[in-house]
Amino acid sequence: MVDILGRQHAAEARGTRSAPILATRGVTISYGDSTAIRDITLEIPEQKITAIIGPSGCGKSTLLRSFNRMNDLIPSVHHTGEILYHGQDIYARGVDPVELRRQIGMVFQKPNPFPKSILKNVTWAPALHGYRGSLMQLAEESLQRVALWDEVKDRLSQSAMGLSGGQQQRLCIARAIAMQPDVLLMDEPCSALDPVSTSRIEDLLFELKSRFTILIVTHNMQQASRVSDYTVFLDRGSMVEFDVTDKIFTQPGEQRTADYVMGRFG
Amino acid sequence: MSELFASNVARRKRHANLFRWICAGMTWLSVLVLGIMLYHIVAQGWSSLDWRFLNSFPSRFPNQAGIKSALWGTVWTIGFIALFSIPIGVATAIHLEEYAKPGRLRSFIELNIANLAGVPSIVYGMLGLTIFVRWMHLGRSVLAGALTMTLLILPVIIIAAREAIRAVPDSLRSAGLALGATRWQVAWGHVLPSALPGILTGVILALSRAIGETAPLIMMGALTYVAFVPGGPGDYFTTMPIQIFNWASRPQHEFHTLAASGIITLLSVLLAMNTIAVIIRHRSQRSRTW
Amino acid sequence: MSSSDLPRPPITTQRSRFGERLILKGLLLCALLSIASTTAIVMVLGKESALFFQHVPLSDFLFGTEWHPVLNPPRFGVLPLVCGTFLIVAGAGLVALPIGLGTAIYLGEYASQRTRDIIKPVLEVLAGIPTVVYGYLALTLITPMIRAVFQNTGVFNAASAAIVVGIMILPMVASLCDDAIRAVPDGLRQGAHALGTTNFEVSTRVVVPAALSGIIASFVLAISRAIGETMAVTLAAGATPKLTLNPLESIQTMTAFIVQLSLGDTPNGTIEYQTIFAVGALLFVITLVMNVIAGRVLRRFREVYE
Repeated sequence: MVDILGRQHAAEARGTRSAPILATRGVTISYGDSTAIRDITLEIPEQKITAIIGPSGCGKSTLLRSFNRMNDLIPSVHHTGEILYHGQDIYARGVDPVELRRQIGMVFQKPNPFPKSILKNVTWAPALHGYRGSLMQLAEESLQRVALWDEVKDRLSQSAMGLSGGQQQRLCIARAIAMQPDVLLMDEPCSALDPVSTSRIEDLLFELKSRFTILIVTHNMQQASRVSDYTVFLDRGSMVEFDVTDKIFTQPGEQRTADYVMGRFG
Repeated sequence: MSELFASNVARRKRHANLFRWICAGMTWLSVLVLGIMLYHIVAQGWSSLDWRFLNSFPSRFPNQAGIKSALWGTVWTIGFIALFSIPIGVATAIHLEEYAKPGRLRSFIELNIANLAGVPSIVYGMLGLTIFVRWMHLGRSVLAGALTMTLLILPVIIIAAREAIRAVPDSLRSAGLALGATRWQVAWGHVLPSALPGILTGVILALSRAIGETAPLIMMGALTYVAFVPGGPGDYFTTMPIQIFNWASRPQHEFHTLAASGIITLLSVLLAMNTIAVIIRHRSQRSRTW
Repeated sequence: MSSSDLPRPPITTQRSRFGERLILKGLLLCALLSIASTTAIVMVLGKESALFFQHVPLSDFLFGTEWHPVLNPPRFGVLPLVCGTFLIVAGAGLVALPIGLGTAIYLGEYASQRTRDIIKPVLEVLAGIPTVVYGYLALTLITPMIRAVFQNTGVFNAASAAIVVGIMILPMVASLCDDAIRAVPDGLRQGAHALGTTNFEVSTRVVVPAALSGIIASFVLAISRAIGETMAVTLAAGATPKLTLNPLESIQTMTAFIVQLSLGDTPNGTIEYQTIFAVGALLFVITLVMNVIAGRVLRRFREVYE
């Protein structure tokens, strides 16, 4: 029921009904014996920002990390159900997580720049993937898009570790978008940042929306309501509600959602 | 979109796989090497390892030679090494962890310990030769050898004991002090018993190292031909590694066989000690509740 | 009766706690022993070497190319011994550094817990085998193998000693590199993976560079250990000090020379006796410098990631 609602809205927003960019069908993921998320079915609308909210430990990050198979790196994780990218199951045989991650970028909770120069941070992956254009130009564009270019253009060869936390996180976003991904996954990208850096990154999200489909996990309700078009609410591993953000925050369909967004629990 | 990038994933995956196999090969190589080495030793030495070997003194005739004096020499020296090194090592660790205030003296002591741990063992032999054998007139005795080895393994014991003591949670100390105990009472009554398994493990590993050490004892002049069991700390002595060195350095194959038998004996002693250490570590991990 | 009726015990004390103060002094004394130990090493080596250098100019010792201190006329150029040591260290490094680093990468980035549970004890056993055993193995296992391939190899040769010294320091390299690789924050690995890179690229371009100073420090520590190694080289590498880079020849290291001379009876006060200490002092200085540098690098490396 829930996903039908979501799909309707997504379809209304696009005005078409093609294969969704990302979708899950009955996805259950567990760490060893404990189940992190249970039977989740949803479709992510293209070129929108979808926020995933819910109390801590509800499986937000686990769900997010399943879209680019980052969960593969944890040996005890196993899953059932299907995760579809442009209608193709990303866990099917023959799917290469390396190729997949090239197209689905990710930004992490804690800024994690490589201990290399600022420039190298942005150009490293495109160079590995055999980028055909000018790496310098790509770096400039990417850094400009995250509004970091003016701050760092004179010290591109200096170590990225010398940047402030907010700058580091914008560098990590630049690093991700330099790969020209289709989708950008963001795992609480502002949780380690001060309010000023946070608002800069939120502004950035609006800019990026025209080019990328963005999924953002956040524990910050205001942030979800400010930046996202759609909102998924998870609780204890299950999806409670998925709808247009305005609706989730003004007239949620479920009591639990209402309690959570009003701050009555979580 | 994908024309932006050269499609090089297949090649990169091949490199990744090759790299993985190379690393795996290197890793398992050490298992293979250990297996070959142990097999070689056992194949060489098993046949001549018997009660007569364990119960005979060294001899010019390979078929009469045994390891008795070396075995007992090792037992004597290790006994004295343990007697000296455990109290001094643990006391140093308690001082550094429980009493010493951060400052110049403590850093200087720590620096000394760290550097002593890296001094080549043969240099300790020179120290022992000069200080214990000549200067203190202990001669080439069990006592002089044990004192030399004590200096050699002290840094190892101190480092292990400090780690064990540091692992005891501060809440235990606070609890003791809050009951009106003095710091020594807390250290002796609570911290040390809690840290004991860790300390013991470190001590056993350090003593196994002392058992295998050869160079310092040769350096300070432990005799390589001793046809009696030491009767006290003032007697001449030899140890298992010295005896093995002696046999291995002779050209005749028969002596090499004896060396292999000696190595099996030595490794068995070490294995027994390490098993004890593993059991202690295992037990303490199970019973530890913090 | 309520407790307030009891006289309140004082919170000051007249007890001197003599016993406890005595214990404290004892503990301090034990701790000071390590300073005494270092001082004694420096004094012992310093005193005898000083006597040695009254007879032999320092430059002759350091730069002389002939070493036969017990022949007549004696020659005290230490370079052949340094060269022999270098040959062993280079060979051992060639064996231990790549394999140790490869093992550490495999354990840190690929291996399952089960593999780790097998490999770690094996490495501990390799590290715990006494050096005299490695010497025996070099002589009776490795040398015959080498001679099967290179027929003109001597019974004593640098190569077999270098190989066993390499095996001996391998666990140290592997475990220190493993520590360094583990210290690299997981966020960096994930960040690299999320850009669509292979394990190989993550390991060699991100993890190893990030751990590089720790890895290099572990290399230096292992090399310093190899320099001080005595029994294996005494047994297997020979006793012919010589300036050669051919690993199939018999050579002599600094440590092997010290053992060789102390096995014979060298009377106190002779130049031969002092020679031991001059070589020992050189050995001590070289390893100390390497250990201090590596220790500094390691400490700084740990600070970066804490």
